[in-house]
Amino acid sequence: MTTVFKLDDADIISQGAEAKVYHVQLHPSPSPRICIKHRFQKTYRHPTLDAQLSRSRLQAESRVLVRCLRAGVNVPVVRLVDLDGGLLGTEWIDGMSVRRILGGGDEGVLEDDDDDDVAEEDADEHLQKFAVTKDELMRLIGHEIGKLHLADIIHGDLTTSNMMLRTRMADAPAQLVLIDFGLAFNSTLVEDKAVDLYVLERAFASTHPDSEPLYATVLDEYARVLGKAWDPVKRRLDDVRLRGRKRSMVG
Amino acid sequence: MVRRRDPLRPPTKPLLALGLEGSANKIGAGVMQHLPDGTTAVLSNVRHTYNPPPGEGFLPRDTAEHHRQWVHKVINDAISKAGISMHDLDCICFTKGPGMGAPLQSVAVVARTLSLLFRKPLIGVNHCIGHIEMGRLITGAQNPVVLYVSGGNTQVIAYSRQRYRIFGETLDIAVGNCLDRFARVIGLSNDPAPGYNIELEAKRGKRLLPLPYATKGMDVSFSGLLMATEAYTTDKRYRASSTGASDEEDIITPADLCYSLQETVFAMLVEITERAMAHIGSKEVLIVGGVGSNVRLQEMMGVMAKERGGLVFAMDERFCIDNGIMIAQAGLLSYRMGFETTLADSTCSQRFRTDEVAVAWRA
Repeated sequence: MTTVFKLDDADIISQGAEAKVYHVQLHPSPSPRICIKHRFQKTYRHPTLDAQLSRSRLQAESRVLVRCLRAGVNVPVVRLVDLDGGLLGTEWIDGMSVRRILGGGDEGVLEDDDDDDVAEEDADEHLQKFAVTKDELMRLIGHEIGKLHLADIIHGDLTTSNMMLRTRMADAPAQLVLIDFGLAFNSTLVEDKAVDLYVLERAFASTHPDSEPLYATVLDEYARVLGKAWDPVKRRLDDVRLRGRKRSMVG
Repeated sequence: MVRRRDPLRPPTKPLLALGLEGSANKIGAGVMQHLPDGTTAVLSNVRHTYNPPPGEGFLPRDTAEHHRQWVHKVINDAISKAGISMHDLDCICFTKGPGMGAPLQSVAVVARTLSLLFRKPLIGVNHCIGHIEMGRLITGAQNPVVLYVSGGNTQVIAYSRQRYRIFGETLDIAVGNCLDRFARVIGLSNDPAPGYNIELEAKRGKRLLPLPYATKGMDVSFSGLLMATEAYTTDKRYRASSTGASDEEDIITPADLCYSLQETVFAMLVEITERAMAHIGSKEVLIVGGVGSNVRLQEMMGVMAKERGGLVFAMDERFCIDNGIMIAQAGLLSYRMGFETTLADSTCSQRFRTDEVAVAWRA
């Protein structure tokens, strides 16, 4: 089976910091379209450094995705990996990012050039469309992160942009999918898990200042999933938060 | 979205502010003028830098001593260059923090004394806000993602709802601290600045050595990277005195290390800035802080911004490196919003986060 396609012809969905994301028809219809993440060359970086980083990140990302799938974490299924071309093909998730659902606008989506409008989007409307309450959504987030950490996988860039709510089929339960594992790695350390949670906490505070109290619900569900493993993570998370404040004393 | 009205009204009369800065090894004083027609003018910007001998950093006590010795001359120069008298001032602004304790205090004492002596209101200013406001004023950037990089701070900041929010920052040491400390290891001079000498040295470097690349989400970490770079100086291939090696020789020169260090840390900084830009959908970047005067960093940021169809705003050393005028600018903005620091509150603090300040003057 050959995979002949041109990225130039494909629909570009978004340009993130790391890569461009395309919606590609790999094989003739009715085979479903897939999502291709292309790590293009970053010309600001030294070419050697850039090649090395792109390659290792792509490799790590695809491995982590497979591990997630094995552990039952909701992530997109891997369809294609091309290390030299910097391509990662995954299942196309039909849905909306949590960031947008919560009314924080969308990240780097090309269609929305005028970012002022997006900020005005009504969160309640989106929540209704997906038939979940804010509280349930927070629980879903906590649940997925809990599963992820139980499998000793650290996402590394937990933000609300990197979570999607899948469009519901009939009566199927709401499904939250974690995406973009570009900075993910394996670790059993409590420290890494706590930092991962802290990154999300800060993302909540900066992109959804109004939803910040809801973050407690995320942690609540996370704690339930982790069970006995929660206590050490909680203690470390408290430490990490303090560390954050200490930072300003540097210099 | 309806743009909110600019809360900052034009002043009814010309306003003059004296800014005093001494949070690190520079003592600076500057006079800023805001006119009723909305224009602003930098009337003077005087600075003196404390340079410890090569191989040493600046210690708080010695730095404070330096500030105490120079503060009169710096303020007098600033006032006379501006062609005004102390009585013409509307307010006196000083750095409340963050920074080194002893130097901050030495300048705060002077600010309090002047305030009492000439009966002028006192305005305590957050150092980081000073950098950001000066950057916005000089470059005219509207709502940029701010990369604040200096010897004491490394933060990626964006404005939202009356706060400069910190999106990413260093988890351990600041980037300037990392560069300065490495300059000390290889014995570069502290004059005019260790970071500047690294920049010069890096231009002769040819070889990119593998160094840890530590970004965590939008945060970065430099301490391990610094240790790894230092470790190369004990490598068998390291030649401390060698300047330009022929290509065949397998040796590591100080220039190579400076080059590798710069390429790696700046790539990390540009990466987290780009993440923040993608995250909030901004196309402007403003680089402030001492490290911001590094041309290589500006160049890399420029390439990144261009790829995203955006713009980089950077400044030269007069306004990038700590100075009094930025304190005057940020102070005058809060003065115009009716803010004043009482004598009892005119303390200074080593810990004063950027996001603690209510930014009343922006929509």
